[in-house]
Amino acid sequence: MPKVTIAQHILASNETIAGEIQQSLAAHGIYALNIMSSPGAGKTTLLEHTIERLRGELVIAVIEGDVETSADAERIEAAGAETVQINTRGACHLEAHMIRDALAEIDLARANLLIIENIGNLVCPAAWNLGEELRVVVVSTTEGDDKPAKYPQMFAVSQVMIINKLDLLPYVEYSLEKVKRQALAINPHLRIFELSCRTGEGLDAWCAWLKAFAYHEGTQDTASTTGDERRY
Amino acid sequence: MHELSIAQSIVDVVETRAAECNAARVKHVRLRIGEANGIVNDSLSFCFEMVASTIPPLAGAQLIIDSVPHRARCQYCDEEFAVANFIAQCPTCQEWSQEIISGTEFQVLEMEIEVV
Repeated sequence: MPKVTIAQHILASNETIAGEIQQSLAAHGIYALNIMSSPGAGKTTLLEHTIERLRGELVIAVIEGDVETSADAERIEAAGAETVQINTRGACHLEAHMIRDALAEIDLARANLLIIENIGNLVCPAAWNLGEELRVVVVSTTEGDDKPAKYPQMFAVSQVMIINKLDLLPYVEYSLEKVKRQALAINPHLRIFELSCRTGEGLDAWCAWLKAFAYHEGTQDTASTTGDERRY
Repeated sequence: MHELSIAQSIVDVVETRAAECNAARVKHVRLRIGEANGIVNDSLSFCFEMVASTIPPLAGAQLIIDSVPHRARCQYCDEEFAVANFIAQCPTCQEWSQEIISGTEFQVLEMEIEVV
């Protein structure tokens, strides 16, 4: 019985489409950012505040992934960004073909940055390349400080970690030191932002960094997150 | 639980190649999967057999998974070591390694077929 060589990436079709997305974004000179977290860590709230704070400085387009409903897209639209909602109808992650289809509805010529909000899930989204330049994982003080150790792949493939809901620290058992130590053991180059969307603490630093990233300003910080130190 | 989506992608890759080869039947499909992908092999095999059963040339095909250990090399003392839970800390000099030498493989290698 003959053996036939295949030698292809298991997610070959996804990788091909992700490459096409990256090229199409590069043609417009914009980066995509893939933002991931467990459900309820505050991705959508973070996006609302980010868009509002950067209004007039950065035109952000958003692809909003949810299993069901367009509630989050409505919130992001209200914050002032062009938004396309994807409903995966049960699927636990976004795939590149969904992003390609959503991009057909976005005027990239008007945007400076594309943000893709993935499905709330710390496992599956880590495996699917969406053509993004940067992966951001959001954790929050209400969900326990052992997330990096429990879901290490997500922290290994991300370049930025945001710790949200700092304002709730007095009320929860959560060690900032522990979560940072665990995350940095997995990924020593992880760039970390600590913030609270509710009080605004830490948002200025995050927004300034994001703006520099979107405008491809080759600061040492942005270079170290997107260069050849990416290991996974 | 994304093994079902991954199984679907493997079936797509194999189905295309089987058609190119005029395969009447695919007997085995061999994968190379690094540990860093976090794949549950039994779950992937189960999903693959389920998806493959709906496509005549692939029905009954078996998945063979070559697992590749997650390993790193220390850039300070050159030690090669196993990475557990994504923590690439050198057991000899305690430095964190930037060089992952295996464990990220994610390939459909080959298949065994019966030709028409």
